[in-house]
Amino acid sequence: MFGLSKRCNVVQLASALLMLVAHLATAQEEVENKIQEEDQVEAVQDRQPFRVLSDGMQYPYKETLDVTPLPHNHLLSSFEFEMSSKPFFPGVSSSGYDQYDHYTVFPRAIEPLLRRTFTKQLHLRFTRGYWNSEEWGRLPHDGFKSGGSGVELWAVVEGSSKEDAYNKWKSLANTLSGMFCASINFIGASDTNYPMYSFKPDELRKEGLPLFDSENELFLMHASLANEPICTENLTPLLKLLPSKGKSGISSLLDGHKIFDSVWHNMAIDVTTTCINNPKFENDGECRFEMQANVDMAVHVPSILARNKNPIPKPLDGNELHCDLSKPYDAYQCFPAPAQTEIQFTLSELFGRNISGSNDLSFTHSRICAHISDNWLATIKLDDGLFGTDDNCFELTENRFYDIYMESGSTDVILDKKEAPIYVSRSLTGYGQDHGGLRAVFNNPSDETVRLSYYESLPWFMRIYLSTLEMDITSEEYAQLTLNDIIESQYYVPAIDRKRSTQLEFVLAIPPRSTVALSYQFDKAILHFTEYPPDANHGFEIESLVVTILDPVPYQLRTSTLLLYLSTPDFSMPYNVIIISSTVMGLIFGTLYNLLTKKMVTLEEAEKVLATRTIKYKLLMVKNRILSKLGLLK
Amino acid sequence: MGLLTNIHRKIIAMGLVPKLLKQLPNFGKVLLLVSFVMMAIIPLDGQYRRTYISENALMPSQAYSYFRESEWNVVRGYRTQIEEFVKNGTSMEDRNKLVASWLQDFGVKTSVYHSEKHNDTLYGILHTPRGDGTEAIVLSIPWYNGDGDFNVGGAALGLGLFRYFSRWPVWSKNLMIVFSEDPRESLRDWVNAYHTSMDLTGGSIEAAITLDYAGNGDFLDYVEVYYDGLNGELPNLDLLNVAIQVTQHEGMKVSLNGIEKDQIDENDYFSRLRTMGLGIRDSTLAGIKKTHGNEAFSGWRIQAVTLKACGNEGNIDITTFGRVPEAIFRSVNNLLEKFHQSFFFYLILAPKNFVSISSYLPSAVIVSIVYATFSLDALVNTPFGSPIFYNTESLLSLIILSVILIVSYLFSQAFVYFPNTEVLLGINAILILIPYILKQKSSLLNEALTYRLRVFGYLYMSLVLTSLLVINFALAFVMGVLAAPMLLVQTQSSGVARNTKSAIRNIILLAISNPYFSILIISNLTDTEMAGTVIFSKLVSAWSDLHCWTWFVVCIGWFPAWLLILLSCLQCPSSSNVDEQKKTQ
Repeated sequence: MFGLSKRCNVVQLASALLMLVAHLATAQEEVENKIQEEDQVEAVQDRQPFRVLSDGMQYPYKETLDVTPLPHNHLLSSFEFEMSSKPFFPGVSSSGYDQYDHYTVFPRAIEPLLRRTFTKQLHLRFTRGYWNSEEWGRLPHDGFKSGGSGVELWAVVEGSSKEDAYNKWKSLANTLSGMFCASINFIGASDTNYPMYSFKPDELRKEGLPLFDSENELFLMHASLANEPICTENLTPLLKLLPSKGKSGISSLLDGHKIFDSVWHNMAIDVTTTCINNPKFENDGECRFEMQANVDMAVHVPSILARNKNPIPKPLDGNELHCDLSKPYDAYQCFPAPAQTEIQFTLSELFGRNISGSNDLSFTHSRICAHISDNWLATIKLDDGLFGTDDNCFELTENRFYDIYMESGSTDVILDKKEAPIYVSRSLTGYGQDHGGLRAVFNNPSDETVRLSYYESLPWFMRIYLSTLEMDITSEEYAQLTLNDIIESQYYVPAIDRKRSTQLEFVLAIPPRSTVALSYQFDKAILHFTEYPPDANHGFEIESLVVTILDPVPYQLRTSTLLLYLSTPDFSMPYNVIIISSTVMGLIFGTLYNLLTKKMVTLEEAEKVLATRTIKYKLLMVKNRILSKLGLLK
Repeated sequence: MGLLTNIHRKIIAMGLVPKLLKQLPNFGKVLLLVSFVMMAIIPLDGQYRRTYISENALMPSQAYSYFRESEWNVVRGYRTQIEEFVKNGTSMEDRNKLVASWLQDFGVKTSVYHSEKHNDTLYGILHTPRGDGTEAIVLSIPWYNGDGDFNVGGAALGLGLFRYFSRWPVWSKNLMIVFSEDPRESLRDWVNAYHTSMDLTGGSIEAAITLDYAGNGDFLDYVEVYYDGLNGELPNLDLLNVAIQVTQHEGMKVSLNGIEKDQIDENDYFSRLRTMGLGIRDSTLAGIKKTHGNEAFSGWRIQAVTLKACGNEGNIDITTFGRVPEAIFRSVNNLLEKFHQSFFFYLILAPKNFVSISSYLPSAVIVSIVYATFSLDALVNTPFGSPIFYNTESLLSLIILSVILIVSYLFSQAFVYFPNTEVLLGINAILILIPYILKQKSSLLNEALTYRLRVFGYLYMSLVLTSLLVINFALAFVMGVLAAPMLLVQTQSSGVARNTKSAIRNIILLAISNPYFSILIISNLTDTEMAGTVIFSKLVSAWSDLHCWTWFVVCIGWFPAWLLILLSCLQCPSSSNVDEQKKTQ
């Protein structure tokens, strides 16, 4: 199921390579002729490897990279790219002969797609890995730019009815699937939900998103593919959307090998429509699409540096071991010392590449900021010189190779870590293959009540019993609280077999300094045998629970996904069934055939007939015949 | 078909049916013999198979194991600190706290599970970058192993291994390390809590490896692999094969089912028969015997094995032993699906030889057929002419069976709460003698009823064995064979049983087929661990600690059948009038 899109990609690649090889073979001679000329050109390019645009060509595009050290020698790198489209007036057709579309920095692939599918907002997430919020604090962008493990897509689509909107959404998903080489096309009616409390559906309407047709409505739809593998083929399309195409500016750092080698990584695309709603302005009602692309990754710096040195983490040499000197150590034993707090690295070591110049397309230069405490040093490396700034932000102004050098003598001290307002975990419980349970634990470490919305979408084959919903609270102070005190409101859409998933939304209030566990039971349905994926024994991925904090601070987080086991048939069984049923049918047929074709006689008659069939009797008959021929028979 | 009809007609014509029916007891005895022979031929060449890896993804020992060289220094470093625990008598809380801080040093998220009934368990999760957080592989290290020795080497090795694992980027499943106080109730409690009420979890557990290296030496002789799960569950043969293959690949000898060191290399008929026999014994007594840690993971589709380092004289060093879990982890890490390719039911004859369920199951089926045969015999061969099934005696027998079932259940529960072995054996001794103590003939039981009681007694036993034999072959087979003497018990009123000789014979047969006496005798004969009457308290603790239901199978499966047979021996008014009727006919 998941392999399909990936495989098609490989096939395309292979055919492209073949064509390239053929082309190269014919072009080889020409190339050889041109080599001499090119030598001269290359000499020039050595000095000036970057393309220089003429002055004045600048577009609404902005790119920044934020580097933030995290505790325990981890480092968060957040790339942000912002761009917006040319203004347009919604509802006015642009298909006239005298009009033309010019996309400038806004990706050519996205805008027609949004127009065709009447999409006002589009949010796409590719996330994988484990964000250790207990140690690292809040997610980057307060979690609003990251998704659950796998692919997540939600969009606001304009439509005349729910069905119309769904069809447009389906079309959107199919196109995105091709664009990003992900299985987004497998999103169907049974995966799509219409969130009620989460993803800010109210605010979306208030924001006054424009309608092409005033009779239409806006629909917010959400779907996710849990644990869809995220790989280079998802990153490359994202880079292609950028005006720099990953060739210059900070996006030149983005290399699949390193990004997907990180502890946690996330790619996000958000497109919104913003309009001017002020009659005072001349351009009242004018709209533009604004797009933000984010790539965030957290890496463990020492292991990346060690990997650069030696790709296989072989045992260290005896003299390279860092031993705890307070404990016994000698040539034979070594109690490992706590992790080192001294560190020095360059971004090129972490990303495997240098930054190739700035971007020349925008009003602002590419900007790199290091959010570091005083124990850290961050400098920009240009040729062999290191240059620092007061605010640790660096503008890339020239078309040269840049690198960032960072070092610290005490990595434990980091800039004000923002504690996550709540910790949430979820797990499957129970024993056996016919039923199970889900348990979500909310741990509120703060001193104030946290109001949050709980959004859970479960596949139809998990038949949940809301009546079994139970709450367990650890804090003695709040022991008397009941389920009704915790749940402020709930929204529940029951599943329909094979057609719709369960949608469960709560608004919860978690009391301060307490841990609340919500649990409920479910039955596991039995699937048709064609409904099992090829890797039937892997289990079924359950998408993560989305928790959006409403009070006191806006924050969003997702739990890890779950793996649900359904009873899985032995797929060689049909063969056995065919054999057994054929045998039974054969026996029935034989008996029936006998009954129909054979004559019923009494036992005496049968014995008489049988007696005539024995060899002895036949021999006797032959003897008699011979004797009678000879006339000897009496 | 024609041939069969002919034979059928011949049989009818010769009047063989009644003659054959008369031979039912002999037929049953022959079947029992056949069952033994079928088990005995399994270790013959050509009857068993070589093991192989079914799941291609596992690729055991295909990746080079790097847990060597300076990792040994790290293991020794940890070991010195763990030896301090023993020297200083560090309390469980302090020990767990300290080890948790060591684990946190290299990025393991730790938590301590406080059990209400048993000891605390420290566990840690290494969230791996390539993983999706939905699956986990567990390395379990009991602080005290099954023998009660402090697991110094195992703990040091586990810490060293996890530190080493944290440097590898290859893991696609979460790695978990569990330090339980013992390999039995505390570990089981932790596994149970993991699937009910734990806050820090790492996804569903695919496989669990228990490490047991009790000494503080650097060397070992050979490795014992334990695989028996509770209630007849076994780990998937693939995991066991991987464990054995990896161990042998690293140059260590593998001993299964506690085979002695000097017998490991043997591979002839008798050594295979012995390994198989010990395997059946260990499987029957899994959870009741000394546990090693893998038993605690039984259920929840977790495949578990225990690796135990034996001896400290050999030339195998501790990191070699550590490379075994490393390679197993690498193999399991390759899996995209749960273990499902290979056998879940098998008998092991030698580390590299096994038989699958189709080879040994018929023996157990035949044993249960033997009981059915004797049940038929008691129905058909009575002095009362042609058998009628639906009559008062059948109803009475069923009522008696129901009452006995309820009594047996209450009895089994009562023993769990008041485990008094003397009382248990005393009651049973009295029960055995009751038919010969009671001189008063019971007016309730007539001879026809005693026959019918035997019908239901044997039928019940047969049903119990049949329903048990796929789930727990070893227990079903052993139970069927041990209870077999009760097939030969004669009813008290039948002509044969009237003299003293046959009465004594009856007493002996009833005594050796009594579940409790039988278990007592056989456990003392076969297992050195089970000296005296310790088996009963172990049966009960296996239930309360591990939820191993062998005690209830014995009490509710075997005991009621035996009681019915016992009842059928009670003296009853002689059915002389029946004989007279017969004579007049």
